[in-house]
Amino acid sequence: MATPAISIRNLTKVYPIPFRSERVLAVKNLSLDVEPGQVYGLLGPNGSGKSTTMKIVLGLVPPTSGTTQIFGRDSSMVDSREDVGFLPENPYFYKYLTGFETLMFYGKICGLRGAKLRDRAGELLKLVSLENARDRRLGGYSKGMLQRIGLAQALVQEPRLLVLDEPTAGVDPAGSREIRDLILDFKSRGITILLCSHLLGQVQEICDRIGILHRGELVREGKLEDLISIENQTELILENTSPELLGEIQALVNKSNARVVETRKPQTTLERFFLDVTGGNK
Amino acid sequence: MRKTAAVAVAILALFGASKMHFEQQLAEEHRAAFFHGAKLNLNMRQQIGQLGFLAALSGFRSVVADYLWIEAHGAWERTEWGRMALLFNNVTALEPRNVMFWDLSAWHMGYNASNFAIRNPKEPRQALRIKAQREYFKLAEDFLLRGIENNPDHYKLFESLATLYKEKFDDHYKASQYYDKAAQFPFSPSYEKRFAAYELSRCPDHEQEAYEKLVKLYRMGENEWLPTLLSRLNYLQEKLNIPPDQRVYTPPAKK
Amino acid sequence: MNPAIVTTLPPKTRHKFFSPARVSAIACNTLLELVRLKVFYFLLLFALLIIGCSGFTSIFDFQFQEQFQILKDVSLGSMSIFTLMLSILATAMMLPKDIEDRTLYTILAKPVPRFEYIMGKLLGVFSLLLISTLVMSAMFVIALYAKQQIVINNTLHQGAGIPPDQVKAMIEGVKSQTFTVSLIPCLITIYLKSVLFAALTMLISTFATSSIFTIFIAFTVYFIGSIEGLAREYWYSTPNGSETAKILMGLVALFFPDLQLFNLVDDIVAGNTIAMGLFVKTAGLGVVYTFVYSFVSYVVFAFKEL
Repeated sequence: MATPAISIRNLTKVYPIPFRSERVLAVKNLSLDVEPGQVYGLLGPNGSGKSTTMKIVLGLVPPTSGTTQIFGRDSSMVDSREDVGFLPENPYFYKYLTGFETLMFYGKICGLRGAKLRDRAGELLKLVSLENARDRRLGGYSKGMLQRIGLAQALVQEPRLLVLDEPTAGVDPAGSREIRDLILDFKSRGITILLCSHLLGQVQEICDRIGILHRGELVREGKLEDLISIENQTELILENTSPELLGEIQALVNKSNARVVETRKPQTTLERFFLDVTGGNK
Repeated sequence: MRKTAAVAVAILALFGASKMHFEQQLAEEHRAAFFHGAKLNLNMRQQIGQLGFLAALSGFRSVVADYLWIEAHGAWERTEWGRMALLFNNVTALEPRNVMFWDLSAWHMGYNASNFAIRNPKEPRQALRIKAQREYFKLAEDFLLRGIENNPDHYKLFESLATLYKEKFDDHYKASQYYDKAAQFPFSPSYEKRFAAYELSRCPDHEQEAYEKLVKLYRMGENEWLPTLLSRLNYLQEKLNIPPDQRVYTPPAKK
Repeated sequence: MNPAIVTTLPPKTRHKFFSPARVSAIACNTLLELVRLKVFYFLLLFALLIIGCSGFTSIFDFQFQEQFQILKDVSLGSMSIFTLMLSILATAMMLPKDIEDRTLYTILAKPVPRFEYIMGKLLGVFSLLLISTLVMSAMFVIALYAKQQIVINNTLHQGAGIPPDQVKAMIEGVKSQTFTVSLIPCLITIYLKSVLFAALTMLISTFATSSIFTIFIAFTVYFIGSIEGLAREYWYSTPNGSETAKILMGLVALFFPDLQLFNLVDDIVAGNTIAMGLFVKTAGLGVVYTFVYSFVSYVVFAFKEL
């Protein structure tokens, strides 16, 4: 059995409130695994403990109790982060650096250098479609561009695990779609992804597995298709049906214990419609 | 977080305990090397104001001193001698190791202020003008004596005090003594020894001693054979009735 | 969209506990940030100040000793102020800004130990202070040299009829008033004091809640440090004062640096010289203070929850 990309066991995090005896229980006895190559969606309302869990996994915050591991290495140790790329929520990076300089900086702190690093930075800029903005300072980047450069810096040392916190927050639909496509591309290369997002439609499109946190506890966890399927219902979508055929199907259903719940025209998504109208869907 | 704060405070306290003694010793070494001799007290605070005092306390003594010196310069142009004396006191208190401040303060009092006092058109009584003049001489002497106290390692103030005694107090013996003290310093100008001998030669009870000094200087070579030295030497040879065959110097015959 | 095939990188090397390359990347980045924030424009202000001062003393009837005195005091005093302000302001905003922009998370999520982050940031500020001190020193030396040459030329013009050796002595007198060997330790202590304050400001910023609070505390420490010597003297002597006062003075002496020990400018400009041994001890104390403050910054930051 392969070592999980992320392994969390009995994780608890309590924040003391200064000058008060009360405490805030951010995460309570959380246990979950993220298998290599999976896209795992960590969901929950604001204040449910998602960011705290992510920060503990990344070693930015120490746990009160419990353990977290990245590919079998204790995530509080610095060397465990060699395999991790992180994109925080709404990052700003260093505004005075150009896109190219940003990737060079992050590459250097990951131990890369020289021509290899320059080539790598060039490749990543091409990957995230920012070659034209290579020499522009990040202060002049749009939100979508910042998210893409953020993805590029997360990938600079070719990590096996990506942790993305709201990667499409505040990004327009076209940009959001591009980022989603990138994430699917990373998945196809075997990169494990831990994703936090409030955009449930996107989570539904890309995640294999999800965990839902509520008040610090993992309330539901499992394969996406298993969790959201309505067990006792079956969806049948037909094309070019005549009213007579529909009547025959209705009659068949009536003879059995089944019931027609709803008959309606299927709908495209608002996103697809928007993209079709604005020409973003190329 | 509390634990971390406690560890940080403990490290700083431990370091603090070990550095205190070292700093105390270092401060004493600094004082022995004539650093940080300025005494900042409440009197100074009243003279130079809150901002100036704060600046002086914060390590910008010299800038505050310069500012006050420029103010004193302005007071000089307005012949406000009293204000000048006050400012000079503050400047020298801020910068006790600055020889120039002591020297020029004394010069202003002993030469400029005293000269003004003796010619003061607003004072018709000569006795009072002379009294004021002498008070300024005393003020100049006071600056130089305090300057020497703070700078015993510099020749300049000894020389200036000697010149003051010579020109303003007519005290040639004291002038000679201070020129001699100035001459003791390794990098003092060569004329200090000569000036000490000249002044001593003007003291009636010390002519023999002065003569011996002048002979010693004469024997050092042609560089010392300046007109004043030769003139004083010849004068003392005559005064002391030195036998001609024992005289070291014979003036050229007048044509 | 170009999902290009990414070139395979060489095999990963073992993680190094300490990497000068990582520290240097962070330090260079910090220096670049400060340069691109145009902090060096203050050097223009410094240049104007010394030119103005030089011109001012020429207009009024100051003797050459007074002119040199004022030029040195204003130049070195300004260097002290500027480097101090630069060290406090540049360092105070560093950590809060990185946290607020979430840049800190992206850096620490890489295999970068926290002590390397602190070290890199501090080295970046130290480099900035070094460049600033060197440039200001060069400007000061040029201004002083120019003034010296003007005075020498005036001396030569006025020296007609005076014996050559006396003229030579007068010129030597002028030169001895301008450049002295002790100016070098003077400049070094100005730099060391600013570096000490950068480390101290970093320490304060690791637990402070805002940049303004950090700046305020740093300047307060500066003023208290300027009179720490008096508190220490009080602690070591046995006056008839109250126990409370003695404990308070003891705490001040314990926790605050004696900044007067680094104020050599005033006395050196006044003509004092500093022995090499004494200078080495003073400089050594400055270096130790910087190291201790940097170390405690790391200790606090290492356990800081981000």
